Amino acid sequence: MEDTKPTLVLDRVSKSFGEFAAVSDLSLQVRPGRVFGLIGPNGAGKTTTIRMIVNITVPDSGRVELFGQPMSTALQDRIGYLPEERGLYKRMKIGEQLRFFAELKDLRGAEAEKRIDAWLKKLQLSDWKEKRTKELSKGMQQKVQFITAVIHDPDLVILDEPFSGLDPVNVELMKETILEQKAAGKTIILSTHQMEIAEKLCDDVCMINRSRKVLDGKLREIRRSFSRNAVALQYQDGDGVLNDPALVANIRQHGDDTEVLLVPGASPQELLRRLVESGATVTRFELVEPSLHDIFIEKVREVA
Amino acid sequence: MRKFFAVVKREYIQRVRTKFFVVATILGPVLMAGFTIVPAMMFGIKSGGPTRLVIVDQTGKMYERVAKEIVGGKEARTNVATMEPPSQPGGPANPKEQVNQAGKMIQPTFVVEQVKVDNRSVDDVRKELETRIQNRELEGYVVLPPNLLKDGQPEYRARNTADLFTKSNVETAISRAVRGQRLVEAGIDEKTVARASEPVDLKTIEAGGKESKGEASFFFVFGIGLLIYMSVLLYGQFVLGAVIEEKETRIAEILFSSMRSFPLMMGKLIGVSLVALTQLGIWAMAFLIFSVWAAGGSSITMPHIPPMLFMWFAVFFLMGYFIYATVYAVVGSMVTTTQEGGQLALPVVLLLVAGFYLSFNIIRSPSSPLAFWASMFPFFAPITMLVRIVTETPPLWQILLSLGIGVATIVGLVWVASRIYRVGMLMYGKKATIPEVWRWVRQA
Repeated sequence: MEDTKPTLVLDRVSKSFGEFAAVSDLSLQVRPGRVFGLIGPNGAGKTTTIRMIVNITVPDSGRVELFGQPMSTALQDRIGYLPEERGLYKRMKIGEQLRFFAELKDLRGAEAEKRIDAWLKKLQLSDWKEKRTKELSKGMQQKVQFITAVIHDPDLVILDEPFSGLDPVNVELMKETILEQKAAGKTIILSTHQMEIAEKLCDDVCMINRSRKVLDGKLREIRRSFSRNAVALQYQDGDGVLNDPALVANIRQHGDDTEVLLVPGASPQELLRRLVESGATVTRFELVEPSLHDIFIEKVREVA
Repeated sequence: MRKFFAVVKREYIQRVRTKFFVVATILGPVLMAGFTIVPAMMFGIKSGGPTRLVIVDQTGKMYERVAKEIVGGKEARTNVATMEPPSQPGGPANPKEQVNQAGKMIQPTFVVEQVKVDNRSVDDVRKELETRIQNRELEGYVVLPPNLLKDGQPEYRARNTADLFTKSNVETAISRAVRGQRLVEAGIDEKTVARASEPVDLKTIEAGGKESKGEASFFFVFGIGLLIYMSVLLYGQFVLGAVIEEKETRIAEILFSSMRSFPLMMGKLIGVSLVALTQLGIWAMAFLIFSVWAAGGSSITMPHIPPMLFMWFAVFFLMGYFIYATVYAVVGSMVTTTQEGGQLALPVVLLLVAGFYLSFNIIRSPSSPLAFWASMFPFFAPITMLVRIVTETPPLWQILLSLGIGVATIVGLVWVASRIYRVGMLMYGKKATIPEVWRWVRQA
């Protein structure tokens, strides 16, 4: 997979608005058939980055390359985009609306009609085709908007906060749909603040903070590299073991769970052995990898 | 290009299909008719029937003449209108007849009665008449002194001396009668007097008739100017709304991720303008049908205007409309609400009024350098160039150059609007200042 040509390449891309640098010197690669998470705090430059990818704005410097070609209006039809600022024409019927957006992506006629019906059915909106936007709930509008992003079967789907406003059932539906798109060979760029979902969906992650990239790579590797040598414990007796400063750096108690941060270089196996030897009853012993949430917070605080 | 048409189609269909459009299209001519006919009727209605006047003639020979002048002087001309073929049944519902009635009513009608002095003193007669006025049997009376034909001053007494129309009617009638009598007494025969006292305004109509060709074209130019002005005021708001729509609904981002902003902006402008032209077209048809029907089948006396002129009218109307409509597009790209936009666009639209003023000068010297430059300046050209065409048609290259400049202006403005729109969209909710806008135009 490493040798396949990347779907998208940003090469030292910068964009500023007046004095304000929105994106500085950003380079990243998105590989085909993967879900790429673009994360970062508010105002980090995610939206500007996405806008440069979809050719709404042009970078001040640097290069955007899509499917091996420099970005151009012709390539726009191969991208599907669900922007964070969402909107549908209030007075248009859902069917008409989807037809219009399909036409804007150069998809029209019977083929467009067929796909519109298929998607509406899939997202349980068939009954709403002849209704106007203002009659739909927010969650439904959200799903309609999602259809506008995928109706033309784009190779690259960019989703900016696709889960906001959805109830748990629809979040699941959306997740499934995204994974189906991935299975169909689409490349997906997902920007979200919901770290638990990003964690489950993303293969790769890029984190931006204050216009710069602070983290980039495969999610699994990132999490491993952030491993703080921590163990989640549930046990009885054998207290003395945890008091050894040569082994344990810090202890945090969460109810029945004890989170033990080991001294750098100390082996978790050693801790387990010592606990068993001391006669403790261990009911849970788990090496803890930091969550994306933790990494996110750590990284943001680091810069601040 | 297909995306451009998709935008045009959407803008057009969405607007034409609204109830508002349908209602406005139907109500427009009705209101217009209302605004022209109702005031005429209001103006014409004279409450309390005819004005009753008494004439006290001390000369003993002037009553006939004065009475005829008061009653008949103006009536004669109005009668022509009433002598047209009888109207269809259900009279008052027929707008044509209403107009005629209104026209008739606008002329005050008089009932005149003679009161002789006989052996009584004039003061007694006056007293008697004053009582009759008080009893509301009379509106007023006129006393013609015995020396009226020399230098006597007639006297008009009325309950309502503020009624200037009646006063002036009476005054004119007496003057005419006195003039007529003096001529007869000077030995000029009655027929000559009648011919000489014929109202002169009949002749002005004839004189105007001879020049009607040029004049009619000229009125057409003003009509076109007014039409541009009205339609810009009417539909400019539509253009503004169309441009702002995606800002308010936040759809712009999707649009921009699918197409370039220039065809988008152009598509909007054309789509909305087609709506405007559809509505104007329907109204024009309605007007035409109405006037043919109102003319009662008889041929309408259309001023003779060469077809070539009509073509220029159409072309310059379109140009004028589009130039000012694009101004609304530019403004729309800068602001966030339609209200703000309307205020910002208005000063520019007033340039059109400046064009009107300039044209007064241009009529007199249609080939002066001022006329030339004014007809090249795109915001004035729709009116000024038309004025030149009807007065002293300039060389074709000048007309074409003026059109070229106009079209270039439209395209340029749309381009500027699309730039501002795109950059402005990236900064939601922020009203742009002029220097910012300038930067955006260069930057986007």
